[in-house]
Amino acid sequence: MSKVVGIDLGTTNSLVAYVGPKGPEVIRDSSGDALVPSVVSIGDNGTVYVGREAQRQLLVTPDRAVYSVKRFMGRGIDDVQEDAGLLPFRVGGEPGGVVRIGIADREFTPPEISAFVLRELKHRAEQFFQEQGEFDFEVDRAVITVPAYFNDAQRTATRDAGRLAGLEVLRIISEPTAASLAYGLDKKNRGTIAVYDLGGGTFDISILKVEEGVFEVLATSGDTHLGGDDFDNLVIHLLLRDLELSGHDSTPELVQAIRKAAIHAKQELSEQDETEIRVGPSTALPAGYRRQMTRNEFEELIGPLVERTMAPVRQALADAGLLPKDIDEAVLVGGSTRIPMVRRAVADLFGRTPHSDLNPDEVVALGAAVQADILISGRREMLLLDVTPLSLGIETMGGVVSKIILRNSTIPATGREMFTTGVDNQTAVDVHVLQGERELASDCRSLARFKLRGIPPMPAGLPRIEVRFQIDANGILSVAARELRTGLEQTIEVKPSYGLTDEEVERMLIESFEHAEADFEARLLIDARNEAESVVTATEKHLRRRDFDAIEQELLPGELQRVDEALQALKDAVGATDRDAIQQRTHALNHATKHLAEITMNRSIREALAGKNVKDV
Amino acid sequence: MSPDSIPVRSADTLACRTCGAGAPVDEHFCPNCSRILALGRHGDFFSFLGLPRQLNIDLQELERNFRELSRKFHPDYYYNASPQERLASLERSSYLNDAYRTLKSPAARIEHLLAIEGLPAVQSEGAATGQPANTVPPALLEEVFALNEELDEIREARESGADAASLRKRLETAREPIDRKREEHEAQLEALSTQWDAERDTAAVAQQRRTLEALRTVLLERNYINNLLATIEREVASLGNL
Repeated sequence: MSKVVGIDLGTTNSLVAYVGPKGPEVIRDSSGDALVPSVVSIGDNGTVYVGREAQRQLLVTPDRAVYSVKRFMGRGIDDVQEDAGLLPFRVGGEPGGVVRIGIADREFTPPEISAFVLRELKHRAEQFFQEQGEFDFEVDRAVITVPAYFNDAQRTATRDAGRLAGLEVLRIISEPTAASLAYGLDKKNRGTIAVYDLGGGTFDISILKVEEGVFEVLATSGDTHLGGDDFDNLVIHLLLRDLELSGHDSTPELVQAIRKAAIHAKQELSEQDETEIRVGPSTALPAGYRRQMTRNEFEELIGPLVERTMAPVRQALADAGLLPKDIDEAVLVGGSTRIPMVRRAVADLFGRTPHSDLNPDEVVALGAAVQADILISGRREMLLLDVTPLSLGIETMGGVVSKIILRNSTIPATGREMFTTGVDNQTAVDVHVLQGERELASDCRSLARFKLRGIPPMPAGLPRIEVRFQIDANGILSVAARELRTGLEQTIEVKPSYGLTDEEVERMLIESFEHAEADFEARLLIDARNEAESVVTATEKHLRRRDFDAIEQELLPGELQRVDEALQALKDAVGATDRDAIQQRTHALNHATKHLAEITMNRSIREALAGKNVKDV
Repeated sequence: MSPDSIPVRSADTLACRTCGAGAPVDEHFCPNCSRILALGRHGDFFSFLGLPRQLNIDLQELERNFRELSRKFHPDYYYNASPQERLASLERSSYLNDAYRTLKSPAARIEHLLAIEGLPAVQSEGAATGQPANTVPPALLEEVFALNEELDEIREARESGADAASLRKRLETAREPIDRKREEHEAQLEALSTQWDAERDTAAVAQQRRTLEALRTVLLERNYINNLLATIEREVASLGNL
């Protein structure tokens, strides 16, 4: 049986988890790292890099790397101008259409970029299951999380990304509710929980009622444009202003170096009261840059943003009909909740210390894995009842929105609306579907335009066309229509306003197969590099032993020189992209150090047997 | 475009899409093959949730039944089922969520009762456009007339530059009689609800009808009052922007 996983597809980092015999677990790489940076870069020869490797490329060739792409999912070019200005990659696309991202000579939509990240996670999980000795280690199904406040277009874009990565998306679930599942695992208790989820790019608040294993979301609110990235940007702007004052031009490379330093400073200030921000010397900045920053200074910068999270919290409480004192437990989720100021704000509001027993980076992926397990196993101890975060409506006369499904309705949910014709013998009616809370269509998010066709010719106002809106358990909308007098089902042509049509997704899938060879090559190169690096590290460890002089005595004449040469040759090869050369030289170094390794191992064994006496050798 | 009225409950049996046997419309699972049934033209949220058709309901029982049925219907548990069952699970869960949301709110509960008892639809609270309906309920004519006059004067005063604090005070004063009316209506709704519950099994049909008509009138007035209060809120908000 192939494997199912839960995936947290984050703005900054992504993770994959599964439910094993001991419960849900995050899948780590060989060095124990659970986070895959949500960064994608394209090499000279068109190969695609994802994660840490892409993050390294970002510092060297910023124009060939993409990050924070989650901010562009399901959005139009007109929505993202502000973000696009801060990022080093090209962002374009037709007005009123999906965003296009240009790297090198290729152009991608956000779901395609996210699909690269998802493929990397799929690969990581498959490698893990293979190492576990699983016979069928293929991962072909996943639950993927999205911010609770994601609209229909953003959820659909995420599902498309999963399809493009070769995954059947079992379910799209919201991040705070996933977190609550992970928290609710070993607790049989009941009560009202507030989940405060501040991630890299998005903020969510969800209020849940837990009773008899049913996790019922009462209300949710948020801001899909507020997160740790915004804290970073404030620090980056401050540093850039400093540098501009001292007469430096900012190059994309310098901006990336500063970004890295700013993120580091932010993280340090969660642990200590003061930090030094350091940017190493480079062509654009020959003298480098240093600056002290205190936690107070940082908090003054981010204070207004932290305060901004409180409006959605109050909104969600009001929608749930609750006061802060009615909340039994507050739970913190997302890397940005490590910031002491954020913790204080949540504690002050609810008058209690929030929970953060589970790693805030990992808890969402764990919950997604639990949900995947529920879907596949049919186990019924737990049930998640989520809500739609935004009201759904249609445009009526004069551009006013008529609401059909109200926000915070438990999903799945349905709504109906009757339409008729305005002209005799009219055979088609246009319908504009919107999501949002505002009164005017122009202030809401356009989801799709439909044309109801095939209406039997009748005098104006006589046809009775029932349009049925169904929001499924993923929070994704579908539409069906019927003319009630004749019982005829209507054909509906869906034109998503900011999404991909099925044809586009199909075409991308074919294209991704065409690129698969290059992508496979990239994967092999990374694997070869990793292996080379571990051999280099092992060799250097031998050479640095304190008893190396004694070891050298046992080596054959010229042997040490051969080791040094093989080591240097491999180091040179790792810096380039010739995989064959890396593999050959890894093999050569292994061969050259065989005797050396034997000697050191024998010495270690003798030392261990002889106790402490040999220590001074 | 008007919202569709809720389909009236049909007494027919329903054919199971899995085994073809007939099942009463109130059943959720086929008595023959025990598979989940497609949703027929149901229409009675009370019976769907296993509750008597009355207006004072036990909210804890409502919640318990909702949770129990959620565990039976939810699409999460039909992932490996046949397409018919998956569709039935989606339909039944959606309907359950609708039913629960409606019965949780006292006003929506009354509206639903009126609909299934065959009275003309009351404009739903949630779908309100924020504008008071065109026809003023006769019982509110006096209050509405006085309020509109005062609002006109306040708007005039605002345009000629009166200070926000005094205008806010006038709005608060104007609000008082409307607030009182609302309290009266809430009390009337409660009394009529209790009356319906007492009469629904015992009283003559004509008497039941009178109670339902009275509920409808008071509910319409109450919705109108809520719109008036929303109008005052908007006026207050516009002062804040000065």
